[in-house]
Amino acid sequence: MKKEFFQVEGLTKKFGGLTAVDHVSFAVHRDEVVGLIGPNGAGKSTLVKIIMGILKPDSGSIRFQGKEIRGKNPWDIVNMGIAGTFQNTRPFRRMPIIANVMVACLAPRGRRRGEWVKRVEAKAKDALEFAGISDLALEPAAHLSHGDLKRLEIARAIATEPELLILDEPFGGLNPVETELLAKSIRRLHRGGRFGRLHSEGMGMIIIEHKLSELMKIVDRVIVLHFGQIIATGTPQEIVENPAVIEAYLGKEGA
Amino acid sequence: MIRDMMGRIYRNFKGEILVLPGRTLALLVGLAIFIAPLLTRDIYILRIITLTSIFAVFAASWDLLSGFVGQLNLGHALFFGVAAYTSAMLNLYLKLPPLLTIPLGAIAAVAAGLAIGIPCLRLKGQYLSLATLAFPIILKGVVYIFKQYTGGELGVSGISRLAGSRLAECYIALLLGVSLCLLIWKITDSKLGLIFHAIREDEIAARASGINTTAYKLLAFCLSGLFAGIAGGFYAHYMRLAGPSMLDVMLSFQAIIWTIFGGIATVYGAVTGVVILFPLMEVMRAFPEIRMLFFAVTIVIVLRFMPEGVAPWFLDRVEKECPRCKERNAFTRRNCRVCRTLLIAGKEVSAGTEGQTGHPTD
Repeated sequence: MKKEFFQVEGLTKKFGGLTAVDHVSFAVHRDEVVGLIGPNGAGKSTLVKIIMGILKPDSGSIRFQGKEIRGKNPWDIVNMGIAGTFQNTRPFRRMPIIANVMVACLAPRGRRRGEWVKRVEAKAKDALEFAGISDLALEPAAHLSHGDLKRLEIARAIATEPELLILDEPFGGLNPVETELLAKSIRRLHRGGRFGRLHSEGMGMIIIEHKLSELMKIVDRVIVLHFGQIIATGTPQEIVENPAVIEAYLGKEGA
Repeated sequence: MIRDMMGRIYRNFKGEILVLPGRTLALLVGLAIFIAPLLTRDIYILRIITLTSIFAVFAASWDLLSGFVGQLNLGHALFFGVAAYTSAMLNLYLKLPPLLTIPLGAIAAVAAGLAIGIPCLRLKGQYLSLATLAFPIILKGVVYIFKQYTGGELGVSGISRLAGSRLAECYIALLLGVSLCLLIWKITDSKLGLIFHAIREDEIAARASGINTTAYKLLAFCLSGLFAGIAGGFYAHYMRLAGPSMLDVMLSFQAIIWTIFGGIATVYGAVTGVVILFPLMEVMRAFPEIRMLFFAVTIVIVLRFMPEGVAPWFLDRVEKECPRCKERNAFTRRNCRVCRTLLIAGKEVSAGTEGQTGHPTD
């Protein structure tokens, strides 16, 4: 059997009396795009922050390519090949957009192909090109609209050429046309290939999203989180018809 | 061959320095300061020039750590004092020449940077600042305890002079000051500076981009300590004294005031602050009753009307940023010198440029 790509087991995180993530276990294969959905406060973003190493879990394990990553520093996790975006975008506000992405290119993983500082700028430009904001490259991030900041987050995440990409609400603040474009880009990123100087060997993905109709089109499998627990997993079709999911989103009356 | 090289240097000089009023002015002021010691042999003026260049390095090193990396250090005098005492004591007790004691003092300051950096980097924001504030005060206490070695309140005195004459000392200080400030500016302008900026802007985002922020912050502490240490060792040999005033809180705040007055997170701002304020305060020694009042009023007025500091305020007046390629241009130009975009607020560009010329403040 193939070695497990990414696996979470019994992950628990408590904030005081609130259990935000409650014994969550799931696995992601390299060749799939997994959607993570759930009502507000279900613990999705907390789960992602734990995977990215920003929050420390109380118990459980996270294994990536056979290695335990729980308790490692965020930068070590990125340099092992997991990159994520923030739901509330966190740009380096007073720096030009290209510099925002160059920071990620300067991380050890961003330059592991022997690309030292000379080509960093070109590579960052390619990441911006991919995200569709290369024409704004020299503007400071503080001048960007919310939708463009979302794209900046994605450009910064893919600049490290991750093998597992975690997107926290990538479509938030985008209009339908932009959403469709971004969805296409995400599929392209998942299939793999070269985008200028950026390589993608086809990355596994976890996408958190509220725009379910868009999400269902691009994911292979959906995990539903409710009060910190997984209440359902399955293909988009199965999830849409699952009564437990409908109940979680709409309440008993709605079902 | 040589003609070729000279031609290239001249073109670079013209294209990089003469096109920008700010740089031209900096060059002129620099040249004036270089020539001044030759015209007057007044010891007092030489002393002002020497101390200005030493403190310029000191203020720029504070800017590197606190302005760029955002680790607000309220005890920057620690580096200065550690280096000064190390240099002085090595010179006095081991009879090492200044050429050796200054680098060794700087290394001691780097070690001090590591020693306070490793425990303090667990703290963030104001807590870090408060912790750094404590270290020079602690060291001052230690200095008072070991009176037989450190001289207590009197300090370590009787150490050897830097060079034979005051004029030579002045030129050594000037050369060192200019080259170190340029080096600091070069560091902040490099890829390393980019990472420093990112850590200040959003440390968590920097971590999520794969940057080992702890290591880089520690590096910043060491670099800052190195430059402040060189300034400290130099100061000790120039004054022929290392005293507890070099660990004083006032000295730490001096660096902060100079830098914020000149413009924080721009190395040239820190240097401008020292070049303006230090000689000004020396002149004001003629009026001791109103000296500190004058100082306070100047700072308040300047920061009221130029909240970003003197240097950025001045540059905003004499230089314009091209809205398209972000290159800086002299205020006299109609078109950007790089991309030819129209700079004068014409009909089609006025709306777009207004918000982009100033620095965003939040």
